[in-house]
Amino acid sequence: MIKWLDFMNPRTDWEPKLVGFLCKWCSYAGADLAGTSRRKYPANMRVIKVPCSGRVDSLFILKALRLGFDGILISGCHPGECHYQTGNYRARRRVAITKRFLEYLGVEPERIQASWVSASEGGKFADVVTEVTNGVKEVGPNRLFAERQGNGTKAKKRG
Amino acid sequence: MLKDREMEQRLRNEARTLLEQGKVDWFIGFEPGSLKFATTPLITKDKNDTERLVINSFIVNNLADFLTQIKGRVGIVAKGCDSRSIVSLIQDNKVAREDVVILGVPCTGLIDLSKVEKLTGKYRDELDDITREGNKVTIKVNGNKKDFPTTQLLFDHCLACELPTPKEYDVLLGEPSPPIANPVAQEKIEKLKQLAPEERWGVWEKELSRCIRCYACRNVCPACFCQRCFVEETEPQWVFPAPRWQDNLMFQIIRNIHVAGRCTDCGECERACPVNIPLRSLAREMYDIVGELFQFKAGMDKDAPPLLTHYEEEEAEGIFR
Repeated sequence: MIKWLDFMNPRTDWEPKLVGFLCKWCSYAGADLAGTSRRKYPANMRVIKVPCSGRVDSLFILKALRLGFDGILISGCHPGECHYQTGNYRARRRVAITKRFLEYLGVEPERIQASWVSASEGGKFADVVTEVTNGVKEVGPNRLFAERQGNGTKAKKRG
Repeated sequence: MLKDREMEQRLRNEARTLLEQGKVDWFIGFEPGSLKFATTPLITKDKNDTERLVINSFIVNNLADFLTQIKGRVGIVAKGCDSRSIVSLIQDNKVAREDVVILGVPCTGLIDLSKVEKLTGKYRDELDDITREGNKVTIKVNGNKKDFPTTQLLFDHCLACELPTPKEYDVLLGEPSPPIANPVAQEKIEKLKQLAPEERWGVWEKELSRCIRCYACRNVCPACFCQRCFVEETEPQWVFPAPRWQDNLMFQIIRNIHVAGRCTDCGECERACPVNIPLRSLAREMYDIVGELFQFKAGMDKDAPPLLTHYEEEEAEGIFR
């Protein structure tokens, strides 16, 4: 927990921190391709390799927001191309309800993004990351779960 | 009220026969509670207990919650919302249809005692009687009678009810009643939606900072049937157990995502909350999102696959780029 707390303090030289959940069969390879073909894109995203976009639990998204990440990208194979046949379809339903529900609660929709990127779409991957980063830059730092003044626990106030 | 008496008598006979003939091992219904007007769930194996069964405007609990906790064949009293929860459990393979005997109660909406208290300014113990006839509720205090329209006194989720009469039942105890679907029920959510995003988040921050993490909302919820809840997991620890608003809110968000496609908008979470957090405003919105995106309504069709185990090839356009 502690080492993430500095995320929550806005600085003047603020750069968004993003987390990307990339499917190892497509988007992760797509990211590799973007690298090997020397495509430039913002270096704000920390990548987590997942076996399938269907592995991404709504808990992961929430936990990332709770830890102070400014944006989340979930990327998997195009519909019909899942290595496990149906994983990305399931991910789509899950991400859709999570995103819409968080929007209702007051989370900016720009923070939760999803894309289909295949292993041959290095260019698309670079574009997606650029767009997502710019979108998050516009909405600003994630202060959703930040401790408000006078809202800490007693133990914290005592210092 | 006469209709309720008749239904009650029929229910007692049916329940007794079921237990006598050994068609069910357990019977779940409602009996008068220890507090005035209130009812409490009756779970019994004894056929003589069936004489205590009641049906009135205060049978608030969603009895489907007990189905996952009881082994054997069960006879159960079900209002429209309960029947949807039961069907939802059948969809999830938590309960086998042949193991439940559903005694359907056509419901006309339940009276919210906290609304009564607010409206009359009296505690429920000070009220002499609450009777209901059609769309009129008569409250008797100190010998004075006063009429109120039902829209002021029914639970919000009852005003929004889409299925007052069970669709799935073995015995229907009365005449079917029409859906209420009064727009009043949605006022709270509509008001929230008009706020700016930060304000909305602020509202939930304020509401959830009251939460004492008693998990009553989880425990009354028939859709919350996990053997081990994610809040109790320590490795990894998803949510810190201390009641801080951040973790409270995270718990509620995840809980609502977990019951998406199972939640039937029965309003139990909000009713059970000891600190009156408007939890139905969360649950109902998720219900509407699921309906809008996937045309899915929980507990309507026992043969339909559960929401998150199923997919269509083309749906939820615009979420993925």
